[in-house]
Amino acid sequence: MAEKFDNLEEHLEKFIENIRQLGIIVSDFQPSSQAGLNQKLNFMISGLQDIEKCRQQLHEINVPLEVFEYIDQGRNPQLYTKECLERALDRNEQVKGKIDTMTKFKSLLISELGKVFPEEMSKYKAIHGEDAPS
Amino acid sequence: MTEMFSTLFGQNEAQGPPGSSSLGFGAGKPQPPLPQNQVSMVGQLPPQLGDEGAAMRKPAAMNEPFYLLRELPVGNELTGNTNLITHYNLEHAYNKFCGKKVKEKLSNFLPELPGMIDCPGTQDGSSLRSLIDKPPVCGNSFSPLTGALLTGFRLHTGPLPEQYRLMHIQPPKKKSKHKHKHHRPQDPLPQETPSDSDPKKKKKKRDDDPDRKKKKKDKKKKKNRHSPDHPGLAGSQPNSNSLR
Repeated sequence: MAEKFDNLEEHLEKFIENIRQLGIIVSDFQPSSQAGLNQKLNFMISGLQDIEKCRQQLHEINVPLEVFEYIDQGRNPQLYTKECLERALDRNEQVKGKIDTMTKFKSLLISELGKVFPEEMSKYKAIHGEDAPS
Repeated sequence: MTEMFSTLFGQNEAQGPPGSSSLGFGAGKPQPPLPQNQVSMVGQLPPQLGDEGAAMRKPAAMNEPFYLLRELPVGNELTGNTNLITHYNLEHAYNKFCGKKVKEKLSNFLPELPGMIDCPGTQDGSSLRSLIDKPPVCGNSFSPLTGALLTGFRLHTGPLPEQYRLMHIQPPKKKSKHKHKHHRPQDPLPQETPSDSDPKKKKKKRDDDPDRKKKKKDKKKKKNRHSPDHPGLAGSQPNSNSLR
């Protein structure tokens, strides 16, 4: 998997570097640099061909649309990952808190019901077991 | 209280459904009519709401005297009770992104990328969102430009106009950041140096003073050694002893 990304990354870096050099040539154009410009233009096309080839290898990769929003706003997309992880941990803790509370409530309810309805609760425990999974 | 419990669990068989050999809301079975004096319970939902499959339930004969008793969920099921970050081996990613402060700007993520990439993409129409909203017309393969096609790219000599030249300038923030990084530690130093440097200089002077004294002593010794009135080792021994 990582090889696919490395391959794409390499092609993108080459493409960007070529574009940068193209920009330098164009920014102060001299007649002698026409041949270099033509070469860079064809490098750009071959670079696009290489990136197009990488597309086939990365068909199954899904990118969250929210990441695009971060990039469009000029923000670090790692912040999205960070916020996702923080949100996941936060929700995880919330759910764990609820489960723990419900587990305590269940054990308390069973013990209290056992005091008031001993026969029924013994039957209940016979069905579900003494240490019923919570 | 006992009455409430019996209504809750349906202890009284007379109040139970006619087909009490199986659970009341099994698949394909009609909901038994409730007695008028019995309160409708939350657990007595119609099959489509509360049903999780007939296979999960035991026959009511086994669950007597309980009515609507369900199988408890399997204990080893993955829930929020477990730390899911640890479960999916994401501790490294969590520590990487949440342990340190992640820099805000896009240029910090892509430092090698030329151009002003921290500006919002909507300003210059370079947003990725616009690629999704208005996908480019594609389908044709990329073919190299031949000699005839390249004639369209013959440019005029001279520099680009100002407005276009800016496109290729690196964002100044990067450079200023580096400068700031270099300056920040340097800036306070000159302020501190006057106060700090003086004692250092003094210390150096103090440190130098004994060296000079030693050098002077050595010179004197050398002179004495070369001189005919050289006292020899006997004269130096007390000094060494006194030092000890």
